[in-house]
Amino acid sequence: MDFWSYLASTLLLGIQEAAPLVLAAIGFTLIFRLNGFINVAFAESITIGAFVGVTLNLLGWNIYVSMIPSAISGGLLSVISYLAFYRPALRRGVGKAEMIILSVGVSYLFRHLIKIVWGNETMFYSSPGTQPIKVFGVGVTNLNLVAIGLVIVTAVAITLFMYRTRYGEKMRALADNEVLAKSSGVNPLATSTLIWAIAGVAAGVAGAFIGIRLMVSADIGWNIILFIIMITIVGGIGSVRGAIVAAFSVGIIQMGIALPANTYYASIALLVLFVVALKFRKEKV
Amino acid sequence: MSSGKVIHLKNVVKKYGGRTVCDIKDNVLGECGIEGLIGPNGAGKTTLINLISNKISLTEGQISFFKDDEEIDISKSSLGKLARIGLVRSNQIIQDFDSLTIMDSLLLSLAPSKQERFYKLFGDKKARKMAEEEIAWYLDFFHFNDPYGHADSAGEKKLLDVIRCMMLKPKYVLMDEPTAGLPEDQTQKAIELMKKKTQEEGMKILIVEHDLELIWGVCEKIHFMSEGKIMIKGTPEEIKCNEIVHKKYIGE
Amino acid sequence: MSSYWIQAISFVAIFIALAGSLYLQSSIGGITNFGIVGFFGVAMYLYTIFVVTLAMPPLLALLAVVGIVFVVALVLGRVILNLGPQSILVATLAFATIIRHLATVLEGVTGAAKGIGTVKMPWDFEKTSDEKILFMVVLIVLAAIVLLYAAKIKKTPYGRLMLSIKDNEVLSESLGKATLNHKVIYFAFTCAIIGLFGALTAPIYTYIFPHFILADVTFVVWIALILGGRMSVWGAVVGIVATKFLFDFGIESALSAFQVRMGPAFGAMWPNIKLAVFGAMLIAIFMFRPNGIVSRKREGGQQ
Repeated sequence: MDFWSYLASTLLLGIQEAAPLVLAAIGFTLIFRLNGFINVAFAESITIGAFVGVTLNLLGWNIYVSMIPSAISGGLLSVISYLAFYRPALRRGVGKAEMIILSVGVSYLFRHLIKIVWGNETMFYSSPGTQPIKVFGVGVTNLNLVAIGLVIVTAVAITLFMYRTRYGEKMRALADNEVLAKSSGVNPLATSTLIWAIAGVAAGVAGAFIGIRLMVSADIGWNIILFIIMITIVGGIGSVRGAIVAAFSVGIIQMGIALPANTYYASIALLVLFVVALKFRKEKV
Repeated sequence: MSSGKVIHLKNVVKKYGGRTVCDIKDNVLGECGIEGLIGPNGAGKTTLINLISNKISLTEGQISFFKDDEEIDISKSSLGKLARIGLVRSNQIIQDFDSLTIMDSLLLSLAPSKQERFYKLFGDKKARKMAEEEIAWYLDFFHFNDPYGHADSAGEKKLLDVIRCMMLKPKYVLMDEPTAGLPEDQTQKAIELMKKKTQEEGMKILIVEHDLELIWGVCEKIHFMSEGKIMIKGTPEEIKCNEIVHKKYIGE
Repeated sequence: MSSYWIQAISFVAIFIALAGSLYLQSSIGGITNFGIVGFFGVAMYLYTIFVVTLAMPPLLALLAVVGIVFVVALVLGRVILNLGPQSILVATLAFATIIRHLATVLEGVTGAAKGIGTVKMPWDFEKTSDEKILFMVVLIVLAAIVLLYAAKIKKTPYGRLMLSIKDNEVLSESLGKATLNHKVIYFAFTCAIIGLFGALTAPIYTYIFPHFILADVTFVVWIALILGGRMSVWGAVVGIVATKFLFDFGIESALSAFQVRMGPAFGAMWPNIKLAVFGAMLIAIFMFRPNGIVSRKREGGQQ
C-alpha cells in the first residue's frame, strides 16, 4: 500500500472506527463530570443497545429503526443503575474511588444477566443491505456514513443542549456545585436522571453501531470501556468537545498502527500513550 | 547555640492572580526562643506559615534555613526534606491519622527510618523499648483519655499534633494556633512544654495566635503582620503600646 | 485425596494469597490496584517460558520471575503512584490489559491462543498425585505466611508508616517520611508476592492460555476482599471461601454429590449465574454492610 492510500485509509477508516466510540465517550464524560466517578457499568448500556437492536433486526425490523429501541434500552439501563445503586450509594457517602468498585459489581451483574437472557452465542445483524461507496479510494459503506453523520448530529445536539439551553445550564451548575445549584432552583434528582438517560441513550446507539459493523456479544461494551475512560480523561472530564477530538484521535491512531501491524499493537500503543497522558494532565483525576 | 538566625525571608512575595497576599522584604526568625506572629484576620499569617513550610509555593523571593552555620535554600524543599533538616509545623486545621492510635502516632514520629523496612516484621518490641521512656514522659505530662486508643476529641487531636512535632526534635517549629480548642489546663501545659523545650533544648518556636494574653505571656519577640506585610517587630511591651498595632488590630 | 480436591485447595490457597496481597496494597498501603492480573499474568507466562522454552531449573526460574515482577512494579509504581487514586486504578488496569495483549500478540514467545506448556511440577515423584499434594502443601504454607505478615504488619513500624501514608500522606511527609519512595517500594514488593503466586499457578494449569489472565481474575479478588471485609486480612480468607471456593468447587461438588444432573445448557450458563451473583453480592455489600462480613468496631468504640 503506498503512502497516500495508507493515509487515506487511516483517516477514513479511523473516523469510521471511532464513530461509536465518540458517541459513547460523549455520554460517559457527561456522567463522569456530573457525579465525579468512573462508571464501568456504562459498558453494559452499550452492550444492551446492541442486543436489543439485533433481536429486533432479526425479527424483521429495519436496521435504522431498530436503533431507537437500542437507544431507549441503553438509556433505561443507565437510569436504573443510577437510581437503584449509584444515587443511594452516593447519598450514603461512598467515596469516588469506591464508587468505581461498586460499578464493577453493577457491570458484572448486568453483563451476566444479559448472557443469561440472550445466551453465550455471538449474534449478528442480518445483512443490512449496505452499499459500498468509494471515498478517496477507500471503501466505506453508506451505513458508516450514516454513523458518522449521526455522531456529528448527536455531538452538535448535545453541545448545543449543554451550552445554549437553560436546561443545559442547570446541568452544568449541578455538576459544579450541588448545594449552590439546589438553592437556585435546580432539581438534582430530575436533572441528574436526565443526564444519565442521555448518556445511556448515546451508549445504546453506539452499541447498535458496533453490533452492526462487527458483532453482538456480551463483551463488546466491556472491551471498549477502558478506551472510553481514557478518552474521557485525556479529552477533559465533562468536555464534549474534548471527548470528540480524543475519540477520533484514538480511532485514527488505532487504524494507523493496525493497518501495518495489527490491532493488538495498536491497543498496546494507545494504552501506553494513555498512561503517559495521565502523568502530564494538570488536574489530578 | 548559634547566633540565633534560623530562618531568613528575602523578598518573599505570594500573589494569587493579580492580588498580593504576602510581601516581606527582609525578615529574620529565630533570634529568640519563642516568637509570636499576630495580626488581624486575612493579614496573611497562615499564608506565611504555608510559604515557609512549603505547603504553597513562592511567587518570588527566597527563604533560607540556617543549620549549623550553613545556609540552606528551602524555597522549594519538600515537606519531608524540611522535616528532616529540622523545620516542622503543627497544623491549624486538625490533622490526624484515622487508623492509628495515639500510641501508634507517637511511635510513628519516633521511628528511625532504619526500622521502617518491609522485611522488619519483628521490629516492634525493639521500637517500643527505645521509645518507651520518651512516650511515657509525654503521656505523663499531658492527659489523654485513652492513650492506647484513638484521640477522641478535637483537643486531643490538636495536642497529639503538637507532640508529634516535638518528638521530631526539630530546630524550629511553626505553630499555627496551637492552643485553639484546647481546654485551659492543657493550654497551660502546652505553654509549659514550649518553654521547657526552648530553654532546655535550644528549640525555637514561632506561634501564630489570636489569644493575645498568651502571646504577651510567652513570647520574647513579636512580629505584627497586616495586609501581607510585617509591619512591626518588638518585645511584648513595645507591641502592646504601639499605635499602629492598636489601630489595625487591638483597637478593633 | 482426590485430584479434584487437591486442585481445588491449591487454587483456593493461591487466591487467598492474592486477596491477602490486595489487602496489603489497599487496606494498609491505600493503593487501589486494578491490575492484579497483570502481575499475576506476567509471572505466570514468564515462569512458563523460562521453564518450558528455556529449560531453566524451576527454583531459579521462580526467583528470576519474582525479581522481574518486582522491578516492573517498581518502575510502574514510580510512574503512577504520585497520581490520584482514580488515575492509579485506571493506569493499573491499563497495565494489565497491555500484558494480556502482549500475551496474545507475541505468538512466537507465548504461543498465544494455542497455549504454551507443558509446565510440570517442580519435583519428580513416582506418583503424580504425590507431586501435586506436596505442591498444594507448599502453596498453603506460602499463603499462610502472607496472611501472617498481613496480620502482624499493623503493629510494626513499617505498618504504621504505610497506614500513615494511606490516611494522610501530607501529614506523614511532614513528619519527615519519604512517602513516595515508601509507596513505590511497598507496591513493588506486594506485587512481587502476587507474581510469586502467578508463577506457582503455572504447574497447576500445565498449559497456559491468554484467557487465563482476563480482568475477571482481578475483579474476583476485589469482590472477595470487599465481601469478606477490608479491615482485616481474615476478610480475604472469608471472601475467597465465600466466592471462589463456594462457587467454583463447593456448589459443583454438592450438586454432583446429590446426583443432581445438570444438562450442558446449565453447564454453559453456570459461569454467568456465578458472576451475576458475585456482582449482586458486591452491590449488596456496598448497600448494606460496606465493611464486609468480617468487620469489627475499631478499638475505643469508634466505627
